[in-house]
Amino acid sequence: MSLLRRTDDHQWSQQHLSHYAEGDLPARARRRLDRHAADCVDCGRGIRAMRALLRLIPAVEDGETVRAPAGIFDRIRGTETPGGDGAPAAPAGA
Amino acid sequence: MRPPLGRRAPDVLDTEAALVARARTGDMDAFEQLAGAHADRLFAVLLRLLGDRGEAEDVAQDVMLRAWRGIGRFGGRSRFFTWLYRIAINEANRALEKSARRPAGVSIDADALQVPAARRDEPAPRLEQAELRTALGLALADLPPDYRTAIVLRDIEGLSTREAAEIAGVGEAAFKSRLHQARLRVRAAIGDDALISPGH
Repeated sequence: MSLLRRTDDHQWSQQHLSHYAEGDLPARARRRLDRHAADCVDCGRGIRAMRALLRLIPAVEDGETVRAPAGIFDRIRGTETPGGDGAPAAPAGA
Repeated sequence: MRPPLGRRAPDVLDTEAALVARARTGDMDAFEQLAGAHADRLFAVLLRLLGDRGEAEDVAQDVMLRAWRGIGRFGGRSRFFTWLYRIAINEANRALEKSARRPAGVSIDADALQVPAARRDEPAPRLEQAELRTALGLALADLPPDYRTAIVLRDIEGLSTREAAEIAGVGEAAFKSRLHQARLRVRAAIGDDALISPGH
């Protein structure tokens, strides 16, 4: 394999580690990354690191119980009924 | 990951539709019941995006006010929570633009995150799980808002790509691109050694 091709594959693989770890690569692209990672220590580690990251992220708030503030509705009390003057940036048509 | 938000039983959807209908007629109790069901998670998202509890509280109140005033324009073509979250993302972005500053983080002591540099012949130090989570929190806070939003909605809130893209106000392909780029940045910030240490 030429050095140029190998460098291309490496850069491409590094850019697609998240796609790979999530199973978001088409079969042909996945095979390309598999072939490269079989010979590339950095990309092999990158795959393991990305998989670990995807397990870690959902746990970032473990142990935290987040409660909305008690006064979250305070500002709507005493306001006009819905659609009153100045109804602002709510996305239209949703 | 939290339980999926977008998949509810039909009776819950019926209840939601009834509450939306009542809220559209000006029934504030119905609106509070409707929006209150999402308030804790909405606030958690704002806290993660803004990094400051006081600001998150302020923005959360604005979100509810805007949703209340705009409920008459909610057509029911999307789920209520999608609509509400989209308002929240818009408001959070507006607040971030206004302050144009790095999120303060959730009382994170940056010194605690300084991992001693490894000597070339030593493996990188292993981060304990709590330290790793703290490092992740800092890495998320350092992301551009669009990237941070992508990770918060998809990976922390557990929304589908379609739902998260709709809330972020972009197409699915653009959203996925943001998400993948965001993860690559977080991986680079934490480092492969820390992520794949034994026990993680």
